Amino acid sequence: MAEDLVLDTAIRDWVLIPLSVVMVLIGVLRNFVAKLMRSNQVPDAKIVKEGQLIVRARNLRAGANFIPPKSFRARRFYFSNEENGLLYVPKGQAPNPQAQMFSDPNMAMDMMKKNLSMIVPQTLTFAWVNFFFSGFVAAKIPFPLTQRFRSMLQNGIDLSTVDVSYVSSRSWYFLNLFGLRGLFSLILGEDNATDDTQRMMQMSGFGFDPTKSLGAEKDSLDIVQHDWAMPKFEQRAEAVLRKALR
Amino acid sequence: MVSKTEETQLSNLESQVDNGGGGAWEYLCLVRKLKVRRSEKVLKHGLSILNDPKKRSSLGHDEWTLYEQVAIAAMDCQCIDVAKDCIKILQKRFPGSKRVGRLEALLLEAMGSWEEADNAYSSLLEDHPLDQAIHKRRVALAKAQGNMSGAIELLNKYLEIFMADHDAWRELAEIYASLQMYKQAAFCYEELILSQPMVPQYHLAYADVLYTIGGLENLQNAKKYYASTIDLTGGKNTRALFGICLCSSAMGQLSKGRNKDEKESPELQSLAATALERDYKQRAPDKLSLLTTALKSLKVSS
Repeated sequence: MAEDLVLDTAIRDWVLIPLSVVMVLIGVLRNFVAKLMRSNQVPDAKIVKEGQLIVRARNLRAGANFIPPKSFRARRFYFSNEENGLLYVPKGQAPNPQAQMFSDPNMAMDMMKKNLSMIVPQTLTFAWVNFFFSGFVAAKIPFPLTQRFRSMLQNGIDLSTVDVSYVSSRSWYFLNLFGLRGLFSLILGEDNATDDTQRMMQMSGFGFDPTKSLGAEKDSLDIVQHDWAMPKFEQRAEAVLRKALR
Repeated sequence: MVSKTEETQLSNLESQVDNGGGGAWEYLCLVRKLKVRRSEKVLKHGLSILNDPKKRSSLGHDEWTLYEQVAIAAMDCQCIDVAKDCIKILQKRFPGSKRVGRLEALLLEAMGSWEEADNAYSSLLEDHPLDQAIHKRRVALAKAQGNMSGAIELLNKYLEIFMADHDAWRELAEIYASLQMYKQAAFCYEELILSQPMVPQYHLAYADVLYTIGGLENLQNAKKYYASTIDLTGGKNTRALFGICLCSSAMGQLSKGRNKDEKESPELQSLAATALERDYKQRAPDKLSLLTTALKSLKVSS
């Protein structure tokens, strides 16, 4: 491209900088709003118990060889017998997490709040950017890029002749939207509400089914071979003492 | 558990603060972090910060944590008035807070009004049924009143939900052992060994309980756990060495006249006896004669 586009300094002052500042401010605001709306969850006794149960069963599996065979068998029976074992979940009784979610209005409410604080400001800012700054070439990257980056950097400009290193205002908005996470964690602390990736993780965690992990724990407990480690310890103790006495 | 480096750091800071070298706040923070019990020092230095408005306001939000820490320390030192003042200030700042409610109940406990404290805890539990600290305080309350069966009941109820809490298991094991309910205590110690298989104290305590129950099988098992304690401590645990000797002598008496089809590591006992003798020679030579007669009476010293 022979003649470079010359960008007006007014674009820098009235588009580029305001856009970035607004994005940062909205992010901060969103963080505080989310903090305000967050309801502290009261943990459910059953869920707590199941978590602890899994820890204990895992301990049993890991340390099985350290207790006498009789004690181990008694414990295993306690955990995994088919009548009232703690880890045994009767078929068909496992609660469906989806149904649980709808039956518990608090949960749905919580999700809605989270989504509201995320989606509403995003739509508003996007509309605002679209309305005021559509079609601006807002900045230029100081290095050349391949054509593939055109859709990323020149969103909103449908000219194939413009060099790819020019950034349109709408693309600048998107870059800010996704790129400011590091800045937010710097100014708002590590666990701020604007972290979208974390939220995604939480969302996928919704499908987590405790009864499934109970069943898995039961299965792995059932196949544990008990091999008591203590008889070996007598020989080892002998060796230790012999070494110490020498 | 407090590691060695942390301990030296703590004592360094302590002497520095005691000699007026400053750093009181850092000292208090370290005490809080390590959860050590230095109530008198905490009370003294904490109050010196709290009574100085300039120092206090420089703490910012940590001021309230300090109030809590000082209140608990004051209760431990039976300075009820100081504790009351601290709690009053906290109450004013955080009305209706669970943490302050806990402190108030703790104050009642410190004053010895068991009934009221118990009521306070119960009402707190109604609002927060899953607060571990309150559950544990109730157990401590029952124990302080000498109501061991009540403490056992509460602990069992607590462990039904928080069954991975090994400190609670340990407490229960000790209570059972103190009430001579050894079978139950053995169960609790098994649970502790499961959760932390490499802690020799649990092996030792379990072996003690098994030995106390008696019977050939239990004695054999006790000996094994004494052996594992020796292995885990590198042969430095005197109690475990004695345990080996006692177990083998008791087993010898039990299996007398019976055919000894399984001769269990006869060397271990003599080794343990020699190790004991050597330890006594090094550390307490004047008690060596006592040891030799004791070992002779156990017929383990060859």
